[in-house]
Amino acid sequence: MPVKVMFVQLASCWGCHQSLLDLHETLADVLPQLEIVFWHTVVDYKLHDVEKLPDGSVDVGFTEGFCRTEEDLHLLKLARQKCKLLVSYGTCSTYGSIPSLLNLYPIEEALSRKFKEAESVVEGRIPDKHVPKMLEHVKPNREYVKYDLFLPGCPPEPPLIAGVVTSLLKGETPKLKERTLCDECPRVKSDVIVLKKVKRDFEGIPEPEKCLLEQGYICMGPATREGCGAVCTSAGVPCKGCMGPGPNVMDQGAKMLSALASIVDYESVSPEDLVKAVKDVVGTFSRFTLPSSIIPKAVFKKK
Amino acid sequence: MDGDFEPKILGIFCNWCSYAGADMAGTSRMQYPPNVRIVRVLCSGRVDPQFVLKAFELGADGVLVAGCHPGDCHYVKGNYRAERRIALLKEMIKQLGIEPERLMLKWISASEGAELVKTTEEFLTVIKELGPSPLRKKS
Repeated sequence: MPVKVMFVQLASCWGCHQSLLDLHETLADVLPQLEIVFWHTVVDYKLHDVEKLPDGSVDVGFTEGFCRTEEDLHLLKLARQKCKLLVSYGTCSTYGSIPSLLNLYPIEEALSRKFKEAESVVEGRIPDKHVPKMLEHVKPNREYVKYDLFLPGCPPEPPLIAGVVTSLLKGETPKLKERTLCDECPRVKSDVIVLKKVKRDFEGIPEPEKCLLEQGYICMGPATREGCGAVCTSAGVPCKGCMGPGPNVMDQGAKMLSALASIVDYESVSPEDLVKAVKDVVGTFSRFTLPSSIIPKAVFKKK
Repeated sequence: MDGDFEPKILGIFCNWCSYAGADMAGTSRMQYPPNVRIVRVLCSGRVDPQFVLKAFELGADGVLVAGCHPGDCHYVKGNYRAERRIALLKEMIKQLGIEPERLMLKWISASEGAELVKTTEEFLTVIKELGPSPLRKKS
């Protein structure tokens, strides 16, 4: 009997579903075993079709994206109601990801910037008819509903997805790897790192074999969960931390901030130099996990 | 509420200098504001930024991290690390909507009991001027 699945897209870029399609031939083995009951950009089922389904009748649901509008929130709660097992698919759904950096600004200011002040706008107005209401903040979806499984990554790499889907089909509970990115990164690392200069990504060309952090680039590897296969660092791009914090870490940004501060050479990099070199502290260290970090969570609780 | 606002300040002091400095103030019978609750750690380099963030989360109005003077660290360079961490952390909390003045790093040696009294009093004045932390739960 095919397994009933639904894919829910909340506010997102669709990259995670793109990554699912990147499974290529593997899909040919997997698809016949699935019965897709809802995937609004791929199959022609409407929202009312899902609303009609009995509660808990769908075996697995995948949610991609975060809740930006009240409609997203409705869809998310509906998915939880209808699915036996709900998988948080991708970093937006799991930690909030890049779009949640907008939490640093009041929503009114953001709307006005986008619809009124942007350079390309002529006689702008903020749309208020036939559009769902915007939520004030982006919170990680787990603050709204309970999840059974988290699958981070921006987007999750195809092998990671394949592993999770196949083990779900076998009836097993998939387990994510629990070390940091540095453990699976193929670059050569020395035991002691002393940074004479902190570089931004565009400065110079990184050496092909040596650890990027040792070369002075801010690589989030030490504070990030492994599982992506170190695709970025293998290609010479410092890790940005999309897999989220490693195990037992409350705040990925704080952890990486701490790591960076302890490896800079204190004779050549003053605290002021360091702040200047990082430039945007929250945007660099908490790029993918802002609403899941300690202070923003406390702000939500207070409201 | 402003009139009777008594700030809660968390002090995270290093074992070898600042905590001994607080001890010095105590044995010398100097008085310092009771608003500061002191936690002893082995080194200011042990202060994980998560500790500071957690303190703010739990409603602290200010956090005072104190360690040995530069060059005096028992573990050679723990205080240099703390200095850089706090600099970045100040920037981080500023972006998150907490005034960076609520976080202070100070070098206090074991003999500087008077300095500790002065620091805590000054810090208390700063915090009182800033008012309750935006994260503090209304009691």
